Amino acid sequence: MDNVYKPHLMRVLEVRRHTPDVKSFRITFQEEELRDRFSFRVGQFGIFSAFGAGEATFNICSSSNWRGYLDFCFRKTGRVTEALWDVEEGDVIGFRGPYGNWYPMEQWEGKNLIFLGGGIAMPPIRCAIWYALENRDKFGDITIVYGARTVGDLVFTSDLDQWERHDRVRVIRCVDPGGETPDWKGEVGFVPHVFERAKVPAENSVALVIGPPVMIKFTLPVLDKMGLRPGDIYTSLENRMKCGIGKCGRCNAGGCYVCKEGPVFSLEQLQKLPQDY
Amino acid sequence: MSISAQDLLRIAADWIAQGKQLIGPKRVKPGLVLYARLKDASELALDGFLRPANSIKEAVFPRHEVLYRYRVTGGAVELLDEEFAPAETLVLAARPCDAAALPILDPLFNWDYRDEFWNRRRAATTIIALACHTHDEHCFCTSVGLAPDATRGADALLYPLGDAHFAVRQVTAKSEPLVAGYRDEDWPAMPAGPPVKFDPTDVQAFLEANFDSPFWNGVPLRCLGCGACAYHCPTCHCFDIIDEKNARVRNWDACQFALFTLHASGHNPRSTQPERQRQRLQHKFRIYREKFGEILCTGCGNCTRNCPVDLGVLNVLEAMPHG
Repeated sequence: MDNVYKPHLMRVLEVRRHTPDVKSFRITFQEEELRDRFSFRVGQFGIFSAFGAGEATFNICSSSNWRGYLDFCFRKTGRVTEALWDVEEGDVIGFRGPYGNWYPMEQWEGKNLIFLGGGIAMPPIRCAIWYALENRDKFGDITIVYGARTVGDLVFTSDLDQWERHDRVRVIRCVDPGGETPDWKGEVGFVPHVFERAKVPAENSVALVIGPPVMIKFTLPVLDKMGLRPGDIYTSLENRMKCGIGKCGRCNAGGCYVCKEGPVFSLEQLQKLPQDY
Repeated sequence: MSISAQDLLRIAADWIAQGKQLIGPKRVKPGLVLYARLKDASELALDGFLRPANSIKEAVFPRHEVLYRYRVTGGAVELLDEEFAPAETLVLAARPCDAAALPILDPLFNWDYRDEFWNRRRAATTIIALACHTHDEHCFCTSVGLAPDATRGADALLYPLGDAHFAVRQVTAKSEPLVAGYRDEDWPAMPAGPPVKFDPTDVQAFLEANFDSPFWNGVPLRCLGCGACAYHCPTCHCFDIIDEKNARVRNWDACQFALFTLHASGHNPRSTQPERQRQRLQHKFRIYREKFGEILCTGCGNCTRNCPVDLGVLNVLEAMPHG
């Protein structure tokens, strides 16, 4: 029987520990023929499982150009992520997906890209950044502003170092006031303020903004002041999900099932949804 | 032609004798009738009650269900391949407001991703409904397009004739082997049922216009968040997926629980009970209608009858300043 709830078995190839409570995994299909066949679009998510603990929802944070494996990142914060935390390289976990919609990368071609991320929100931006860099001639200038509470809370910092070496890529790292270390060379301040100070040209730009609600709340007015239209500002919602396929009834924002019609939304679309997310 | 209660019990007994599953109203104790698996046809209750306190949805959507089992050995995992073959099931004497819920839920379990647990159980289940000759103040089937003798979702419908006989209406070919010898071509008029209490189109318009409204902090504030309404509802279908004893299982869940939408970050999109009541009403009378063209309610009144604070769908709708 075709069982839509049954996951693929995935072997953990690599465990990266980013902070005292954030890790990312690189995983591959145990069924060899799926390694080549599997494809997804950047922005989509998966339901990942630790057998014995349960399932949890995460963005697939690798580029869709990378074949044979995929990455996801999580913070140790509940039953499932605590079980995942103890998983070692070579162990087997579950994955089902890809689910949901994706970033409209084709629509963004020819434009300058602004990526704004806070804390654990770097992974869902990372996939789009790598994708853009792998199709470098299709996109204009790329600006990345990434912040966290403290230096120790920044994730994927070696990716930031690599992105910085590309032409027409500007990477701005920041930490909240008080979160800096004596040797911190990045900015000190909150993402919206640091971004505003950076005076990034707005014309012909789209922005992808992902982070805690408070970061998004203060970033949107800055983008608006710069002249970005709501249709050019995107985010990814992180509503709690169980099935991921529009049945279990919890991820909706008003009449919109985030697992199927999202998780990617433009601000223009979000403005039409009730405050239910 | 019609059928006698005696012949109906004989059909039920034959069904059980063939090793198949029979579900029907059972008087479990004085004053309480539940749809239950019947071990003996004589357990079938055909009159003397309004409607069972639960619904027949669990014949197709059990409250607890194994989605698959697995075996973990060290870091290795094996998913066990078990064929899913649900028991052939007859639901006898289902109320029309229960039978109608199943086709309402079919599109939900089949948009894009087909839930074969639901589909196979649906295919294996025959429903012979029993029309209602009474109603109480909580019934409102006539307000959501149904009636005491609605045939929606039923494979056959029985009309009580009052002398331990029932007129028989065959609705689908599925019930033919069971009712062919008894079917009637004319059916008696049933009582009109409860008076129409609201117009769902007005309700939908109110819900569209009043997502943010002081209304939600009025009557809905009474809700305790116990979830009884959802568990007794023929159409509520929200579920949880968790791991239990080397199996991934799904259990019924309810939108009235605070944990239902709680994010790992601590953020909760629906952090107060009025917001959760709003979700319940919005889902049933607006969202589901927009998505699937159906009202997610059959007017059975179970939500009110089983609510510890008398707050069912109808109580909220009647408090609405619509229409």
